[in-house]
Formats: sequence, C-alpha cells, structure tokens
Amino acid sequence: MDASYLDLLMAQQEEITEEAAGGGGVWVVADVVNGSIAPVTLEGIGAARTLADSLGAYVYGVLLGAGGADLAQTLYQAGADGVRVADDAGLSEFALEPYLHVLADLFEAEQPEVVILAATQQGQELAPRLAQRMGGGLIEHVTAVTLDEATRTVQGAVPIYGGQYFEILACPEARPQFLTIEPGTFPAPFVDSYRKGEPTLLDVEPATPAVRVIGPAEDFEPPPVPLKQAPVIVAAGRQVGGEAGFALVQQLATALGGRVAGDRGARDAGWIEAGQVVDVRGVEVAPEVYVAAGIRGDTFHNAAIEEAGFILAIHPDPHAPIFESADLGLEAEPQDVLPALLEALGD
Amino acid sequence: MDFTFSPEHIALRRMIREFAENEVAPIAAEIDRDHQVPMETMRKLGQVGLLGVCFPQEYGGMGAGEMGYCILMEEINRVCTSTGTNVGAHIGIGAMAIYLDGNDEQKRRYLIPLARGEQFAAFGLTESGAGSDAAAIRTRAVREGDSWILDGGKVFITNGGYADVVTVMAVTDPALGARGGITAFIVETDWEGFKVAREEDKMGIRGTSTAELVFEELRVPHENVLGKVGEGFVTFMKSLDMGRLTLGAACIGGAEMALESAVRWAKTRRQFGAELASKQAIQWKIADIATELEALRSLVYRVAWLVDTGQPFSQLAAMCKLYGSEVASRAIDIALQIHGGLGFSRDFPLERGFRDARIGEIYEGTSEVQRIVIASNIFREHGVRIRP
Amino acid sequence: MRIIVILGRVLDPSGIVVKGSAGRIFVNREEYLIQPADACALEAALRIKDGMAAEVVALPRSPLPDDDILRQAIARGADRAIYLTGPALKAADEAAMTGVLTAAIERLGGADLVLIGSTTLDTGQGQLGLRLAEALGGAQITGAWQVSSADGQVQAVLQRNGRYVAVEADPPVVVTLLPGARKLRYPDGVRLINVYRGVGEVGDALEAWDAADLVDEAALTPLVESRGKEFAPERERGVRASGTPAEMAQAAADALRQRMRR
Repeated sequence: MDASYLDLLMAQQEEITEEAAGGGGVWVVADVVNGSIAPVTLEGIGAARTLADSLGAYVYGVLLGAGGADLAQTLYQAGADGVRVADDAGLSEFALEPYLHVLADLFEAEQPEVVILAATQQGQELAPRLAQRMGGGLIEHVTAVTLDEATRTVQGAVPIYGGQYFEILACPEARPQFLTIEPGTFPAPFVDSYRKGEPTLLDVEPATPAVRVIGPAEDFEPPPVPLKQAPVIVAAGRQVGGEAGFALVQQLATALGGRVAGDRGARDAGWIEAGQVVDVRGVEVAPEVYVAAGIRGDTFHNAAIEEAGFILAIHPDPHAPIFESADLGLEAEPQDVLPALLEALGD
Repeated sequence: MDFTFSPEHIALRRMIREFAENEVAPIAAEIDRDHQVPMETMRKLGQVGLLGVCFPQEYGGMGAGEMGYCILMEEINRVCTSTGTNVGAHIGIGAMAIYLDGNDEQKRRYLIPLARGEQFAAFGLTESGAGSDAAAIRTRAVREGDSWILDGGKVFITNGGYADVVTVMAVTDPALGARGGITAFIVETDWEGFKVAREEDKMGIRGTSTAELVFEELRVPHENVLGKVGEGFVTFMKSLDMGRLTLGAACIGGAEMALESAVRWAKTRRQFGAELASKQAIQWKIADIATELEALRSLVYRVAWLVDTGQPFSQLAAMCKLYGSEVASRAIDIALQIHGGLGFSRDFPLERGFRDARIGEIYEGTSEVQRIVIASNIFREHGVRIRP
Repeated sequence: MRIIVILGRVLDPSGIVVKGSAGRIFVNREEYLIQPADACALEAALRIKDGMAAEVVALPRSPLPDDDILRQAIARGADRAIYLTGPALKAADEAAMTGVLTAAIERLGGADLVLIGSTTLDTGQGQLGLRLAEALGGAQITGAWQVSSADGQVQAVLQRNGRYVAVEADPPVVVTLLPGARKLRYPDGVRLINVYRGVGEVGDALEAWDAADLVDEAALTPLVESRGKEFAPERERGVRASGTPAEMAQAAADALRQRMRR
C-alpha cells in the first residue's frame, strides 16, 4: 500500500460526526495565544477526554476569537468530539463581557456537566462569573483530576500553600462543575493529525466591555521587594567564572524575573553590594527558586537558604557542600552550563 | 487569678511586633555602627501613637496602662536595645515624671506633644558626683522673682542630645538635702543657658544619645516647677520606680532575642554528625535561659498589673530591674557561646546584643542599689532601718 | 462613596510544617494573618479614603471563629466592620458566601466599590470577588496593582502582557488586588485600644449580623466540599543531573520551569 492510499483510508475513518447533543458533556474553553491554541487548552482537552470516557459523554471545545476558525481542527486532533466557534471582531482579544455573553448563552442552551477553563487571565476571569450565573460549583487551579463515577463528580487536586500539600475538592451536586486547570500540570494529549471535524459557528451578539483601557501606565512603579522576600534569586559565588560568569548570572536573573545576589566572595570581588550577600551574616532568604552558580556553599551560606523552595546548584567540584542542600545539582563550570540553560529557557 | 492578657493588649503586642520587625529591626545594625539616634523611627512610633502608650487618652496617649508600656518595651527591645532605650527614656522617665507630678496645665502643655511624639523628653538627674548616690546632686536652682536660675550640669543623660523637654533635678535648699532641698523643673532645651556639651562614646546602645548637659544661668519660670518646691526627690524616686519595672520588661525582650537566636542556631548548626540541639550541654543551657525568662516574664507583668490597679509596687519593681538585667546578661552570654566564633563576629547581630546588655546592670540604679532597696524594704517590715 | 473591603484570615505558613511522608500537617505555632492580598485591598480602600469622602466597611471573606481581623481593620482605619455569625454559616464556601455578602452589602445600602484580594495564600482561590461582581451586576477589574477613584469612576493599574496598563470602569466595580500591591498601614494606637475595648469613637464600629437574617439556610449550603488531602513526595536533596553540559542545562531548565509555574 502506498502512502496516499493509507492517508485516504485514515481520513475516511476519522471524520467526526457529532451525535445529536442532548446536553451534558465535558466542555473546554480554549485559550488562543498569538494566533494559536495555547498548550494548556490541549492539556484541558486531554483531561476532558479522560473524564468523558468514564462518564460516557462527549468532549466539546469552544473557540472564541476573530478569524481563527481553522484553529478548530487542532481541537479535534487533540480529541474533541465537537467544536463551537464564535468568530467576531469584538472577540479578537479577551474582554470579559463579550466572551461571557457568548459562553453564558451557549452553556445555558447546552447545560454541560463539566466545564474546563485554563487558570490563565482569561479562564480565571470567566470561570467564577459563569459559575455564579449558572449556579455551578467552581474549583480553581486544579493540578490533577479523578472521577467519582457513582455521582459523576469530578474530584480536583488543588495545591495549598503553594503546593506544600493538595486538597481534593469536589462539587457533588451543583451543575455544571467548573474547573480551572493549572498550565503544565496535565499531560499533553496524543494529537491525531488525521482526526478532523466540522465546527459549529455560533451567533455572536456584540457586548461592550465594562472596563475601558485608558492607556499605558507609564509612571507606575511597583513597590520594591526586599531581597529576603524575593521569590526568585540567582546568586553568584567565587567559582562563577569571573566577570564573564557574573554577567551570565545577571542574564539568568533577568530571564527568570529574579534578583541577583551572591556569597561573600562575590562581594569581595565587587560584583554585589553588602545587602545582596546571602549568608547568616548577611541576608537570610526564602525564595521559591534559588540558583547558586559557583558557590561552594559553606555552612553560613547554606543556613541562609534553608527555607528556599527549590535550590539549583552549579559548581565544578563534585564534593562542594552546596550539593547537599540543593534539590538539583549540576557538576560543571557555570560558564559551561549557563549559556545552554539560558537557551533552553528561551523557548 | 486570671493570667491572660486582655484582647486589647494582645492586639497591641501584635501591632508593636509588626512595627518592630518592619521598622526597627532593619535599622538596628546601622544605628549601632554609625552611632546615630533613629530619629525617623522615633517619629513613626509617635505617629502611630506608641510614644504615649501608657498615658491617658485625654493627654494624647493610648490609655493602655503600664501593661501596654511593658509590652512596648519587651517587643522593641527584642529587636533593638538602642531604639528601646530611646523610647524608654522618653516615655518611662522623661514624660512619666510630668505625668506623675505635673499639674493639669503642665500636662496639657508638655505631656500631650510628648505622648504624640511631636516632642521628645529626657530625665536629668545624674551628675558626675551623683550616680547611685542620687541625692548628692550639686546643680543649683536659685529663686529670682517669678523664675529660678539654674547653674550646673548633668552627665549620662539618655536622649539629652535631642530632647525638647528635660525634667531636671536641682538643689533648691542645700541645707535640707534630699528631704526638702531638691526640686524638679521642666526645662525646655531651646532656652538660653541650656547647652548640650558633648556625647558619650559608648561600648553599647550606640544608637542612643547619652549627653552631658550644661546649665549656665538657665532661667526657668516658676510655673515649670514640677510638683512642689523641695519635693523633687519624691518625684524622681517615683519616676525611677516606674522606670525600673519597664527596664525589666525591656530585659524580657533582650533575653527573648538571645533565646530565639540560640535555638535557631542550635537547630541549624551541625557538628560531629548532629545538630547542636541534640547535645545535652546545649539543651541544658537553653532550658536555663528559658526558665529564667519565664520567671522574669511572670514577675514583670505581675508588677505591671499592680501598677495599673494602684497597688504598691516599689520593692517588686526593683526586683524586676535587678533580675531582668542579670537574666538578660546571662542569656546573651550563653547565646554568644552557643554561636561560637560566629557570635563574636561583628557581621552577626549577637555581639551587638552582648554589648548592649551590659548597661542593664548599671543604669537606672545599679544592681547594687537595687539590692539595697530590696533589702531595706524587707528589713523595714521587720522594724530595722538601713541606710546606704 | 462606599467602599466594601472583604478580608479573610489565614494560618501563618511559617508556623506550620508539612510532613508528606507522615501525611500530616504539624501546626507548631498557631498564628493568623490577614490574607496578604486582602490586606492590600484594605490599604487601597484607606488610600482612597485619605483623598476623598468615603466610607470603608470591612466584611469577612469566609466564616470566622472570632471578629479579630475585623477589629484590626477598624484599628487600621476602616469606618465599620460587619461580623457575620450563625451556625449555618460554618461550612460556607465561596458560592454560599457570595449570597450572604451580597445580602449584607444590600442591607448596608449598596457599594460603589468592592475591594478584595486576587488570591488566597492558602487555597489559591480567586473566585469570591468575581462571583460577587456577577451577583452585584458590576464590572470586574482583576489583579490590580493600584486602584483610585476620580470623577465618579474607578481607575486601576494592571499588568497585561508584561506592561502596566491604566483602566477605568463605572461603579459598581469589584477590583481584586494583587498580594504585594501595597503594604498595609499600621493601626492607629488609640483606635486599636478603643476598638478592642468597644469604647470611644469606634465603640460602635463593629456590628454582628446573623447570616440567617440575611439569606435562607438553603442559600448557605456549600457547593464544593473537601474530600481529603494528598501529599507531594518528600523533598529529595542532593540529586545530580547527568550527561553533557547541554543535557544538564536542559534538565535544569525543565525543573525551573516546573517550579516557576506555581
């Protein structure tokens, strides 16, 4: 069999025909970013697929935007059984009232069992209003789901205190069950490029956004955050590789949106100020993420980073004490890995 | 006996702790290193009303009583002894004298701005020849018409370098001595004849002003006599009694700081394969500090209750000061030892605490004087009079 | 202008230790804070009040065992606070609270502006403010750094696509404030003492309202319930990445991205 005949065979089998919908189903509201479907939406379709299969229901995607109807195929390929598209100039960028209007009318008519949105700006603004309007329950920032089949209730794991533990929440009676899912926590679904379908176009009634953009807030400066409260810190040590190494540390800090700090050696070298020295004799820090580049890690430094959430250490000496404190250690010269790290983060 | 703090005092403590951690702790090392009074922080304390914590609301204060003042001293001294000392001298002896013995006019004129932190106070008693022997002061006040002319000087006056108002003790009748010969005056520091001669360069509490004051033909109007002429000794004894209690409260803060540091280091530092906290020698030291701290806490807050309920407290106040200063000194010494070499480093705050604690056993009545006060009170109850 | 501020309380996370391996949460020091984002909302309300005639009323985000944070709000400058009580309120979730709060706001005579934190420190939920916006029929501005009022309208500064943007809406508006937007001012000492003693100018500032007087019990039934806890695997330190520098860098990048998504 040659490739073109195989294509034809596959294409014929994967044309999705939607059964007459009688309501219900697991619906996913798509996020469109820079003209394409956001990865979190596909993760949502994957999660929806798993739930729908156990519920014996269909997966539907909803796409709002302007002129992006061809994006609907991506949703089919990820596993949607049906796609509704609202195509209107007024929906080209997310604004609450126009999007809410379309979705509220749609869900009122379709009465979903479960609605999944992304825990993005869009999803987080829409979900509570939809839930309130329809009398549904909402569980936000879900990182994993299971299904209580007896009651057809979704059980969502929600991170508490930033993920120190998870609370399992469920909405046993109210319907629809709304969920916002945390990007990057659900597996990306298998994308079947042969799967396709015919999306349904929705009528869009225009609605004016209630919040008007006046313009850029040029003079606005957010309040300064002291180093000991900074959520991300990239610190340089004596073995960072001189000025060049320190420059890479600065670049990494910028890339991660974090602050630059260092050990006493960095201060002695003149790269940082006294207020940036991470040490029990300097500043004790508790960031979510701490990167120690070229810091050997003496007791006084390591004691000052005990409360850090995640420590990445880069040092050429495999016996450096910093590795005992680090969650992940790279035994290498900072100058050898930092450029590659910056590149990997750039994607 | 109900040993719980009232809701307003619990709320007050929380407010002061928040203030202390956000406003006072960050400047503690700097004011010590640069020998600076934290003027801006003092003003902020005034703005939220804390510099009038114990004074009645009708005189610009918060009305939280001596209990509230002890809480303030504990919480501020827990993070910075220098700032605590500035506050203590301002409220506890400077403004307090005016509150205890001032007439209504004087309270309205002086106490209100002091309570609001719009002005600052100091207490002018000590002289080069009159420390523990406070009655041996030589500053002279001579009546001239409707004013008094003061000549002399004072030494080691906390806040003396920046106070707006100083309560000065002067001899008005040398023949009578302490009983009838000393008068208290409210002196405004911008008056002609009042001079700040110099600042002491001290071992500790370097974030405070400890000044030498000089009075040269300083004219004080008669309406600024605090209390009655000749009864100054009583005024200053009353103020010092109050001051002793609150110094005990300050020492709770100092000891707490020492204990917290010691515990934190003991659980972090590992030697010989285990944390210091697992070694009995360290555990026992910590238990000792903690026990003394609790005993001090009970003593101080009980005496604060005695003051707020109008009961006699003088003897117990002396015990607060005596015990408190010794507990704080022992605690910081132990904490420094537990930190080892790190404790000796100027980059680590413990050595500052060590230097700051030393003055506790000396100022506002040395430990020796406190012991004499306590013993005289005991023997007097048994009919024996002791003279120092 | 009437500004409603919604305040919640949270257990100070520095006083708790989560032991995943034992499946337990140890509360070593039980101290409660005002939800950090809600504290920013209160400060934002007080700043507006600094500049114009406004009444700031504090309401609770969730059922509270005592009125302490409401008293704190008054000590810091709120004009009034309403403590919602009643046994039926105990299990209320965001949906149930929306009903009670809407009724309470109505009983107060409505609100021009409702300020609340954009997220909670513990549960990370941001839905309450927006549910309220829906129930009140108002506009919503989410994740604001700053909020002000001029010419009868509400202005705010947000961050969208990495830039700071100024927006505006007509009242009634619900604005959710980011944690870290503004530091909450200290209480006024006299106000603090008086509100805890229930005397002076602020003696009547705190009122207790029974939730049953505001809505039926049915409306107080929570929609969402907890079905237990799950613990993440214990933190493993000392893990080394292997391979070439490029491979190590990739592993590091993946780990950082994972971590920073939270």
